[in-house]
Amino acid sequence: MSSNENTVRIVDSFEQGKSSLPGNWLAGAREGAIGSFAAAGFPTPRVETWKYTNLNRLARGAFDPLAEIEAPAVDAWSGLFVDGCDRIVIVNGRVDTAASTVGELAEGVIVSALSDAIEEIDPALEKQLAKIAPDEGAPLVALNTAFMRDGLVLRLADGTVLERPVQVVHIVDSGDTALALHPRTLVVAGDNSQATVIETFAGADGAGYWTNAVTEIRLGRNASVRHLKRQSESTTAYHTALTQVRLDRDARFSSVALAVGGLLSRNEVKVAFEGEGAACKLSGGALLRGRQHADSTTEADHRVPHTNSDQVFRNVLDDNAHSVFQGGVIVRQDAQKTDSSQSNRNLLLSAGAQADTKPELQIFADDVKCAHGATVGDLDEAAMFYLESRGIPPKQAKALLIEAFIGEILEDVADGVARDHLESAVGDWMTGLGKAAAE
Amino acid sequence: MSFLSIKNLHASVGGKEILKGINLEVGKGEIHAIMGPNGSGKSTLSYVLSGREGYDVTEGEILFKGANVLDMEPHERAGAGIYLAFQYPVEIPGVSNLTFLKTAVNAVRAARGQDELDAINFLKFARERGNILEMKDELLKRPVNVGFSGGEKKRNEIFQMAMLEPSLAILDETDSGLDIDALRIVSEGVNKLRSPDRSMVVITHYQRLLDHIVPDFIHVLADGRFVASGGKELALELEKEGYAKFGIDDGASAAA
Repeated sequence: MSSNENTVRIVDSFEQGKSSLPGNWLAGAREGAIGSFAAAGFPTPRVETWKYTNLNRLARGAFDPLAEIEAPAVDAWSGLFVDGCDRIVIVNGRVDTAASTVGELAEGVIVSALSDAIEEIDPALEKQLAKIAPDEGAPLVALNTAFMRDGLVLRLADGTVLERPVQVVHIVDSGDTALALHPRTLVVAGDNSQATVIETFAGADGAGYWTNAVTEIRLGRNASVRHLKRQSESTTAYHTALTQVRLDRDARFSSVALAVGGLLSRNEVKVAFEGEGAACKLSGGALLRGRQHADSTTEADHRVPHTNSDQVFRNVLDDNAHSVFQGGVIVRQDAQKTDSSQSNRNLLLSAGAQADTKPELQIFADDVKCAHGATVGDLDEAAMFYLESRGIPPKQAKALLIEAFIGEILEDVADGVARDHLESAVGDWMTGLGKAAAE
Repeated sequence: MSFLSIKNLHASVGGKEILKGINLEVGKGEIHAIMGPNGSGKSTLSYVLSGREGYDVTEGEILFKGANVLDMEPHERAGAGIYLAFQYPVEIPGVSNLTFLKTAVNAVRAARGQDELDAINFLKFARERGNILEMKDELLKRPVNVGFSGGEKKRNEIFQMAMLEPSLAILDETDSGLDIDALRIVSEGVNKLRSPDRSMVVITHYQRLLDHIVPDFIHVLADGRFVASGGKELALELEKEGYAKFGIDDGASAAA
């Protein structure tokens, strides 16, 4: 099946299955979205932002966006549940009510599964859902809009604080059916509100699957949101994701996205500065082996004066793994006094590994500070010898250096349990170090 | 039996022969100083002893407590009791000095058949040994050697030695780059670690270190070979007359 034939197949399946998707009030938006996906098709490497990540195999894959697979027990995955969080668990694309737990929340704070929020026809939802991340020019976002069914909704009224982090866990275990999942998370943080959101993705090997996630986050004035993402998908899975953030005046957003899973993954984080004094820190990276491919693409869009962005990305690559970093910074003409910095470092553990890194700065204002730097290198031989000369066996020395390297993206994770969640992904990856790669 | 026995050692770096037949016998508890001008092979000898990659032994042997050192990996040599204090200690961002030391101490303890130290006992041990070198607690928490002054780095080398309790310590130009105060602290630390069970090979360019760490024997290294050996009085001769006395052209360093 060619990519074009597959696009037709996906559109057909939308026509046949659209009545089963939640929310009549969303029907118009879904129709529009499938139309723009049909017109654009899958992104190809001819599109500059997709130059290093080729979706050819994904675009020909017969993933089913509508199949309902009976949810297996989630016990096997409970190691991914972060202690002390409110939690929405999504299994095979649908909320697992039994596994989800939401405790008492402060007044004005809403945590719910997306499917529930859609059915309630919350008027506030209509204003926000699929509005923060537009479908235009983003065929995968459009596809998500067409098929979105479940995910997380977090809404914070002005001045409210989410006491515990909220975690949304996406689990895929669909046996012989190759699923396409289109989960969506919506976070609307009112003025002076505060929250930590954790997104976790994992799945079983099975027939392979495709997660195509969209996360929309809007911060009101002086709001503060921390966003953490752990991508531990099956190494036979595809994972494409966009996190679109909009920041009002003095809002502060931080994001840490770590990928250890997926055969091919792309994590895109875009931040639009819409109010003066806003700041963001975007961190992330990947630990990869075998033939895994992971792409981190960012865009910090400085539209108004006096905003800061800081990007820190680290990749560790073994075997024939491939990482991509595309670090976008736009400083528009009005965005004087912008302060932005960007650093991408890549550690290659084998001769077959490859890292592509591309800073992309578009600066139209003249009174700004924009720093960027990128490196690609091997393990530091001098550091290895130093550690070994102190009695530390080579394998352990290597592990210490790798953990220190990737640790730079975890530095700012203040919440202990959230940090453990990401560190355990690193730890799991490290245990596979030096073993033969799964081809 | 000699403690450390080096016989007819030849070694090359990048195909170029640097050591051209070194013979050295170090007895238990003895301190030997190796002096020589730049490029004589002092650091190469220290790297060969500790097993650094790229330093190829082409001939000869090194026996330590009867075992063939050249058959051991660097970490096995450390476990066996060989310690190198680096001339240029390496900075390791992201790894705290304490994590590094705890990993190292427990690795050598395992190699020596001793139990691991738990967190509490390790900290106690680190504080006690840190006092010998006047190490500030803050230096223990910082990443290994990152942001350390030259003196702090050298002090950290001797502190690690105090923690790892080697039976053979090689000090490679531990005095270079130190001011008088730092030299005093470092050499006092070394002297406190002297013991009848611990031998040391002190490599230096300058006589002044040997005022503080008084050796039992001195060897003069030139162009990959020892050209003179003797007692501590040899250092004074060198100081007075320079390396030229031994037929060594060392115009660049004689002034120092």
